Amino acid sequence: MHLEFLLEEFRKIPDKDAIVWNNRVYSYDSIRGHFENLKKLFVLDYGIKQGNVAALKGDFSPACIAALLALTEMNCIIVPLNFKSQEDLKSKIEISEAEFVIEINAEEKTVVQRTNTKAANNKFEILKSKNHPGLILFSSGTTGIPKAALHDFTLLLEKFKTKRKAFRTINFLMFDHWGGLNTMFGTLSNGGTIISLNDRTPDNVCGMIEKYKAQLLPVSPTFLNLLLISEAYKRYDLNSLEVISYGTEPMPESTLKKLASIFPSVKLQQTYGLIEIGVMSTKSKSNNSLWVKLGGDGFETRVRNNMLEIKSRSSIICYLNYPSQFTNDGWFMTGDEVETDGEYFRILGRKTDLINVGGEKVYPAEVESVIKELEGVAEARVYGESNPITGSIVCVDICVSEEVDKHELKNKIKKHCINKLQRYKVPAKIKFTESIGMTNRFKKKTN
Amino acid sequence: MKISADQIREIIYESINEINSFFNKDKQLGIKEETVLYGQDSRLDSLGLVNLIVEVEQRLTDKLNLNIDLTDEKALSQNQSPFLTVKSLCDYIYNHQNQQTPE
Repeated sequence: MHLEFLLEEFRKIPDKDAIVWNNRVYSYDSIRGHFENLKKLFVLDYGIKQGNVAALKGDFSPACIAALLALTEMNCIIVPLNFKSQEDLKSKIEISEAEFVIEINAEEKTVVQRTNTKAANNKFEILKSKNHPGLILFSSGTTGIPKAALHDFTLLLEKFKTKRKAFRTINFLMFDHWGGLNTMFGTLSNGGTIISLNDRTPDNVCGMIEKYKAQLLPVSPTFLNLLLISEAYKRYDLNSLEVISYGTEPMPESTLKKLASIFPSVKLQQTYGLIEIGVMSTKSKSNNSLWVKLGGDGFETRVRNNMLEIKSRSSIICYLNYPSQFTNDGWFMTGDEVETDGEYFRILGRKTDLINVGGEKVYPAEVESVIKELEGVAEARVYGESNPITGSIVCVDICVSEEVDKHELKNKIKKHCINKLQRYKVPAKIKFTESIGMTNRFKKKTN
Repeated sequence: MKISADQIREIIYESINEINSFFNKDKQLGIKEETVLYGQDSRLDSLGLVNLIVEVEQRLTDKLNLNIDLTDEKALSQNQSPFLTVKSLCDYIYNHQNQQTPE
């Protein structure tokens, strides 16, 4: 019902390329066939119905995209999960109260499991009563427990009803992030082609651009840094590229300038997106400028105390497990510090102790508590240090409680963190100090 | 005193050994000049590369008293990336110290 605009597009262009997956090309008609079959399977074989919470593990493969569309059409509440990252999977399934776990495996087979959960969160009733599909997306939480954001999916889909240019697009951003889903819906709703990736290294991405003549490349600044460092762009023909869009973390000006000189005829476009509000399109002042116009298309912006606040038609209903970050009059407090120049903004980044490592968020408290489990560590202070490749790196100052071999302790800390935390949270720099700086309010200094 | 290319290479090898100790065998980097750090068929990902650079920087400071920011604008805007191979990184550090005014 809510996907009719998309299905209508599919019916108009049955033979056009919809998805490139594992070096095979799938037409719009084949995706629609997949979609119809999976809808039947979910309803008839498993009794999945409107309002059910269903976790969907997969990637941008034909079956997984078809399953996502089928669950949306059935007005389910969908929890997209990346099948490659096993971390947090169990807690994400629990927090979202998923009643079904649907996995699209590497052979594109659909495996459906019923959990013992009965989704009881009363916020789901808002969606059920309207007969709307929902979407639950996760981001890092302050305490290490992932933060679950509940969306009315129809509000996020609204913007795709406006027609834009159809691109052959590299689906670089992840399936469990709105950035990735936004790329996917933007491409399919305009009759473009999704080029899925098994491997996100610069050489493989450039190889796929060359082979499938990709026009649009939506990525993160970290990837663009790696593209430059690896010099992969010298090894492939990238002449088909028309637009490179980047978001998820602040962009170093030097990277942008170098890109503009390497790709003089490619439009470099900044996007600004947050799990709580969706993705806003922006207008850059020029190709090598970080100043952008924000807003339009259902987004309003305001700045209070140099901090950006956004009102969006596609804001989340609520977090399932965290307090609200919205003002009473419905503005989302982004936590991003900005500079303004007339109607242009420059995003300076988070004015919190949150560390952004290549677009992934790290809260110091979580890393500190893991390190403090180790014997010999009296105090640990985790902070971010800017790094031109990944935006920031995680650093830690350590106070030891007794005479220890510092080299040995450093290795122990690394090993312990690798076992307990996702890799991007593991400190790159470990320093030993006599005492940890304290402010006069007896709080650890966070710079 | 000028630091030799051999000393710098040794620091890079020690750093690779350190990084290797946290990875499975199939991800380990070879201890040789031609080892690709970040380029075609590289075994490092972005986090691996950043960790290796931090290790090299820390060792240059601790052992050779050489303070160098390997990811400053100068490093990242070279025509040839310093991070392609062990050799290119070694050359970059060696040439970089020559350009610094002696203290």
